[in-house]
Parts: sequence; structure tokens; C-alpha cells
Amino acid sequence: MSVIDAINNLLKIISDGVVNLVEGILGPGLGADLIVMGLGAVALCTLAALTFMAMTWAERKVVARIQSRVGPNQAGPFGLLQPIADGIKMFTKEDTTPASADRWVYNAAPLIIATFALVTFAVFPLAPGVVGTNLNIGVFFVIAVGSASTVAILMAGWGSNNKYSLLGAFRTVAQLVGYEVPMLLNVIPVILLAGSMGLADIVQRQTLADGNPGIPFILYLPLSALAFFIAGVAETGRSPFDLLEAESEIVAGFHVEYSGMKFALFMLGEYVNTLAVSIVFATLFLGGYAGPILPPYLWLAIKTAGVFFIFMWLRGTLPRVRVDQLMSLNWKVLVPMSVVNLIAVMILAKLFVTSPGLQAANGGILVTPETQAAILFVANMAILLSGLAIAARRARVLRLAEEADIESRREANRAAASSFVGGAPAK
Amino acid sequence: MTISQILFIVMSLVVLGGGVMVVTARNLFHAALFLILSFFGVVGLYLLLDAGFFAAAQFLVYIGAISILIIFAVMLTRGVQLAQPANSQWPAALVISVIVFVIMAIMLGPIAITIGQRQFGDVSWPNVTAGQPAPAVADDSLVRLGQSFVDFNQYGAAFLLTAVLILVAMVGAIWVARDRTLKDVMEERAELAAEEAQEAMLAGLVQQPLPLGEAQSAESPAVPAAHH
Repeated sequence: MSVIDAINNLLKIISDGVVNLVEGILGPGLGADLIVMGLGAVALCTLAALTFMAMTWAERKVVARIQSRVGPNQAGPFGLLQPIADGIKMFTKEDTTPASADRWVYNAAPLIIATFALVTFAVFPLAPGVVGTNLNIGVFFVIAVGSASTVAILMAGWGSNNKYSLLGAFRTVAQLVGYEVPMLLNVIPVILLAGSMGLADIVQRQTLADGNPGIPFILYLPLSALAFFIAGVAETGRSPFDLLEAESEIVAGFHVEYSGMKFALFMLGEYVNTLAVSIVFATLFLGGYAGPILPPYLWLAIKTAGVFFIFMWLRGTLPRVRVDQLMSLNWKVLVPMSVVNLIAVMILAKLFVTSPGLQAANGGILVTPETQAAILFVANMAILLSGLAIAARRARVLRLAEEADIESRREANRAAASSFVGGAPAK
Repeated sequence: MTISQILFIVMSLVVLGGGVMVVTARNLFHAALFLILSFFGVVGLYLLLDAGFFAAAQFLVYIGAISILIIFAVMLTRGVQLAQPANSQWPAALVISVIVFVIMAIMLGPIAITIGQRQFGDVSWPNVTAGQPAPAVADDSLVRLGQSFVDFNQYGAAFLLTAVLILVAMVGAIWVARDRTLKDVMEERAELAAEEAQEAMLAGLVQQPLPLGEAQSAESPAVPAAHH
């Protein structure tokens, strides 16, 4: 095995080595399996937590640069030790509990949000053959487990017994439950094309037979990718959809009353969820770990970092949306467009098939993957552009109606004012 | 005992314990949270049965959506903290629950019972003994599930009917919470203003001029002059 192969398969070699070591000591069996699984879980959680530290640093640096600030620069070179300083600060802070808090609910909420954020990492394929557990429902599992954060946020909002917390929790439900719909609707086209819900299978479908990257699904389904990304930003509650913790309106939303490590757990949950959405986006639409020259795990890291950079970019530049804008965007733009797109993809993927086996089973026209991608790309862009045109036209009509209404009210006011002479209404 | 048996007992205890706490908890919000715990136990049971898709669906639908709706309903209820877990109807509820439980136990139990011409029970569950491998779940169970939903010889009709039912419910929800047009709102305001004016006249009150910002729209009838 050459050095390049060894570097490419580094994660696989390490994991195989650990498995062999444990089985060598205990002998193959249930005990060894349990220990290997436990080690894998610890490794994945540690990876996620370390990435969380790196993400907080990167986000503060990037957003600072976008806003013409310096960002953290005191702790270590380039402020690199800032996350560790923050961690020490969080550990040493007083752990407060409001006197009127619902104790069990209040204390369980941060644990639940952090646990279920970390659980999603079990199904992410990090490199060929390196995956916690290759569930055949991978992407569905990620979205299902991600919905637990809604419950945790509600528990935090209620348990704190604080009106701002509760308001933040109420906003969360409307937002997170609503944006789950376009998220799922835009995952289905990918599942249709890949023929599987398993994340490893979806990556496989975007890889050529010789291991080189094929056409990523973002070129098949640009509309789905865009809608999934917007829904992902809203699902993680990040700017510009950070209504659940809008500090200028409701202090900090659901985590007003939390301090110390409990607050840190909420931060961990938020960032790990963001990381999970980035990885899912990279896996579904950008081809996952597939890539030339560099080792696969590095490709996944690069793609995930690219997606996360767009998250930071949005945070640094966009103002927060209003609640009604948030809801309108979801239910009047994203959901209808996604449904139309889903139907179009279903029909086109049935008409134009790429594998002879599928053609023999279901009929249809046999085309090359490039042609299929081109057809779906054109259909997606047509739906996207016409959807945007309809939305823009509708918005213009509504705005004109509103202006006309304001003008008619002004007229009425003027008429009412001019009919009063000397304080008494004219007969 | 095998590990899966221990896990089954633990998960069953979570389901049953959560269920008992739901009906006995004095705080309604706690009751809703125990319901989520109970649902979570069901997720665990599905996982023990190698039914990953059902587990994820149970998680997404029951924990992620239905329980949230229940919590919302609870939060909009008065007296969340001091709710009485039981009212005067508890004996009736107890009788009905016992009857339902007995019927289900008979339907799913191994003992054959003949009532009239129909035979109930006599269900033989696949028995897994220790040391023997559990019956394997086919890898393509998810594929077969999907195919059974579109096959009219299996569950195609039921699936379509459910879809139509949900669509009707969705349309109904949208109609109930529909966005009224500007004209509707203006007409309602005009009616309201007319009623108020009439009441004021009947009461013989002096009609104060309205502040400019809240003046009536052009469509509302002119406020009649009050007596001086």
C-alpha cells in the first residue's frame, strides 16, 4: 500500500486498527462490539465538540472581518485560544437557577438539545467505509432527530418561567415546525434521484465508478439546494432567521435564564446543529467526500466549511426578518415552489432514466447522466424563476393596494378635519 | 436474559411509566412532557424490532409535531399548575379503559375465543428463545413498505384515502385561518363603526371627534352629529 493510499484511507485504517486491537484483547463478541461502538461514539462526539470550538472562533473572526472589526485577537496567535478561554469562563461561572423555575424541565432542556444534536453524527459518512452506522434511512433520521430541538427549546422557554423565554419558545415553534416542511420536501428529490435515503448511498450516486466525483446533485437540483439551504438556516435559528433569540426584542429568547455550562450546552447544540446541516448539505448536494487528489475526509471538511462560510456570511450581512416575512417566505414561496419542483422531478426522473435496468423495469427514455442533469437543471431553474416572478408580482400588487388604502385613509382624514369648523362639526 | 430482552423491558417501562405519569401528573405541562417520554419509549421499541423507518417516523411525527401541538394547547390553557388529574368522571373512564384493554388482550392473545360465529384471538406470535437468532428482517423492508403503499392490492387505497383526508384537513385549516381581503376588513370596520355610533346615539352621549390617525375610512358611514 502506497503512502498516498494510506493517507487517503487514514480514517479507515485507524478505525480498523482500533477494532482489531479491541477484538484482540477481548476476542470477537458482544463485549468487543459494545466497546468499539462506545469508542466510536466518543470519537464522533469529541470531533463535533472540537469542531464547535473551531466554529465559534472562525465565525467571530469572519463576521468581524465582514463588519470591519478585528475580532478576538488577545488569546494566543490570531485569538486561536479564544474558545478555550471561553470554555474556562463558562466552567467557572456561577450556575444560576431562577427561584420560580420548573427545576427538572429547566435542567433537562440543555441536555436534550446537546444530546440530540450530537446523535445526528452517527450517520454521517466521513470517508468511504467510515460511518458510525450506515442506516438505510440516514437523511430521514437526521431530520427526525433534529426535530427534538423544538421540544428542548419549548422546555427551556417554559421551565425558565420568564416571559421573554416563553416568547422565544413560541416563536421557535412557529419557525422550526414550519421550516421542517420545505426541508423534507427538498430532500425527497435527492432521494428520488439517488434511489436511497442512506447518506453513504447518496454520496455513492454522486461518485463515478472509478472513485472520481460525478455530477453533484446541486447541478441536477439547484432549486432544491437553495430551498434546502434556506430551510436549514431557519431550522438552526441563525441570522437572518434568529427570531427565537432576537436580542433587541426579547433579550435572548429561550436561554435568557441560563448561565455557565448550561448556556454553553445551548451554544453547543446550536453550532452542532449548524454543522450537521452543513454536512448534510455537502453530502446531499455537493457530493460528500467525493473529490480528486485530496483525501476524502478532507474533501468533506472543505465542502462543509464552504457551506458554513455562507452561513457566517449571511449572519454578517443580513438584517433579521420580521415574523410575517418569515412565515410568508416559508408558506407562500418555499413550500409551493418545492411541491411543484417535486412533481416536476418525479415526472422527469421517470421519463428520462440513466440505468438500463430501470428502463427495462419502468420504461422511459435512456439518457446519459449529463443529459438527465441538464434536463432537471433547466426544469429547476424554470420553476425557480417563474416562482420568483409570481412572488414579485404578487408583492407589487399587495404593495400598491396598501398604498391606495393609506391614500384613501388620508383623504378621509382630510375630509373629516375640514368638516369641523371651530371645534364643532358642520351640519 | 438477552440484551434485547433487557432493552425491551426498559423501553416498555419507559412507555408504561410515562403513560402513568401523563394521567397522574398535577402539572399539565409535565403531563405533556411525560407523554413525549412515552413516545420516546415507543421509538425504542421500534428500534428493537429493526423498524428504523417507523422509529424515525414516530420521532418526527409524534415527538416533533404532535407533542408540540399538545404543549401549545397546554400553554394556552388556564390553570396549568393546579390542574386536578381526575374529575368526577374517572370511574367511567376506568371502566371504558378496562373494557378496551380486555378486548385488545383477547384480540392479540394466544387463547381462542368464539363469540357467535366469529373467532377471536388465537394469535401465534413468532417465539424467539435465547441462543437462537431472531428472525432476520429483510434489508429491502423499506422498499417493500413503499411498494405496498402504491400497490392497490395492498394498501394503495388506504394510502390514497389518508392523503385525501389530510389534504381536506389542510384546506380546512387554511380556510379557517384565511387572509381576509382589505375590502372584507373595511366592511367589517364600517359595520362596527355604524353599530358604535348607533349605541352612542341611543345612550345620548356626545360623540367625540375621532383622532386623525384612527379616523374612519371613506366607506364607513359618516358619524351622525350628536345632540348639543
